[in-house]
Amino acid sequence: MMERHVNPEDPDLYALRALDGEEKQAFEAHVRACPACAAELDAARERVALMGLAAPVAAPAAGVKDALLRRVRAEGAGASGQASPLRAPARPRRMAWLTPVLAAATVAFASLAVWLWARNAAYLRQIDSLQAQLATVQTQSQEIARTAADTDKLLGMPGTVRVGLKPMTGMHDGRVGVLYNAQMGMVSCAGWLPAAPPKKSYQLWLVPMKGKPMSLRVFSGEWNEPMAMHVPAGMEAKAFAVTEEPLGGMPSPTGPMVMEGAGE
Amino acid sequence: MQPAPDSALVERMITGDESALVAVYDRYAAMIFGMLVRMLRDRQAAEEILQDLFFELWRGAARFDASRGSLPAWLMVIARNRALSRLRKREYREFSENIDAFPANAIASPVVLEDEAERSLLMGKMRVAMASLPSEQREAVELAYFEGMTQSEIAARTGSPLGTVKSRVRAGMQSLRRIFDDGTTRQSGRS
Repeated sequence: MMERHVNPEDPDLYALRALDGEEKQAFEAHVRACPACAAELDAARERVALMGLAAPVAAPAAGVKDALLRRVRAEGAGASGQASPLRAPARPRRMAWLTPVLAAATVAFASLAVWLWARNAAYLRQIDSLQAQLATVQTQSQEIARTAADTDKLLGMPGTVRVGLKPMTGMHDGRVGVLYNAQMGMVSCAGWLPAAPPKKSYQLWLVPMKGKPMSLRVFSGEWNEPMAMHVPAGMEAKAFAVTEEPLGGMPSPTGPMVMEGAGE
Repeated sequence: MQPAPDSALVERMITGDESALVAVYDRYAAMIFGMLVRMLRDRQAAEEILQDLFFELWRGAARFDASRGSLPAWLMVIARNRALSRLRKREYREFSENIDAFPANAIASPVVLEDEAERSLLMGKMRVAMASLPSEQREAVELAYFEGMTQSEIAARTGSPLGTVKSRVRAGMQSLRRIFDDGTTRQSGRS
């Protein structure tokens, strides 16, 4: 008896999943026993599978590939080389618990890194500020040390005069003491002065026996640091004075005298 | 420059070369994802299936003989089965086409899709062929392919007699089959 095969379209319809009922059962029964139709079914699967190409191409989100690679790495090296069955569960549960842990750890480490980075940046800024302050303090310390050394010299030298400046009318605060040695050409000052009025400066003058007053220092703000200065040697001082001048000082006194003192 | 054959990429995957998986993904993901989105109309669900599909390919690479079968066809079959299972909320347990039992290299005479140009050409032909079907045939074929409906279900959905639906589906599949039989997309030298 001639062997009766299935209808030529049946493999495609079966692969398409369009057959049902008795047609489906009959086809399956025949293919089990017919290698030729089984081979035809394999070819039909390919054709039907590729019918999906009729759908518009769409790009999955980039995160899908990233997530895939994370799963692959979590699975562990060597897993792909084993003959693991294709019937593996849709999602691997073996390492599933690790995913949230790794995610949480990643977030925690990322947060820690950001926090450390911010703290490091803050520390670096603080170090820069402290270094600047240190440089200023070192400069001030050197000046104070030099002033102290100069003052010591002045105090021990004959011919050093002491001058105490007293506030004049309108000057309520301030105290300035001066050590001066004409032969050494050295002046040392200590005391304090308030900040000058707005847009004004206080200016300290040496008033010589002869000639014009010589500017020793302009105070733009409050002053309370000792200072030492060199002046031309041999200049005899008649007095020391503080005047109120335009901001930044003047070559010669122009404003009112707010403090004044003569040698003792 | 010739693209790396699928068989070479699969061999590299077996050795744990992630870049081979990336290459296969880059080659076929958009094609498969388009089909999944068309079927599910849900990008998130489609992405889940897509990721699972390539992950299983990675894990089961050693069992796949790419020299004897078509990797993209196998991927499309499994992806479609997964999508239909989700779409219809049931597992298919049909003869020799159970998802888990389906042999990876069962699809012989592979269509060449490794080359981007060949892939684009075939996709264009499939779209033209589908679009050129009479509307009743196209509707019947699309309900069967993208929604997994049987002929009886299509008849119930469309209100057409079952015999008419069978005729439409068969005629539509015959038209589409001519694309694969015209010899332009099949390499007869490959086995």
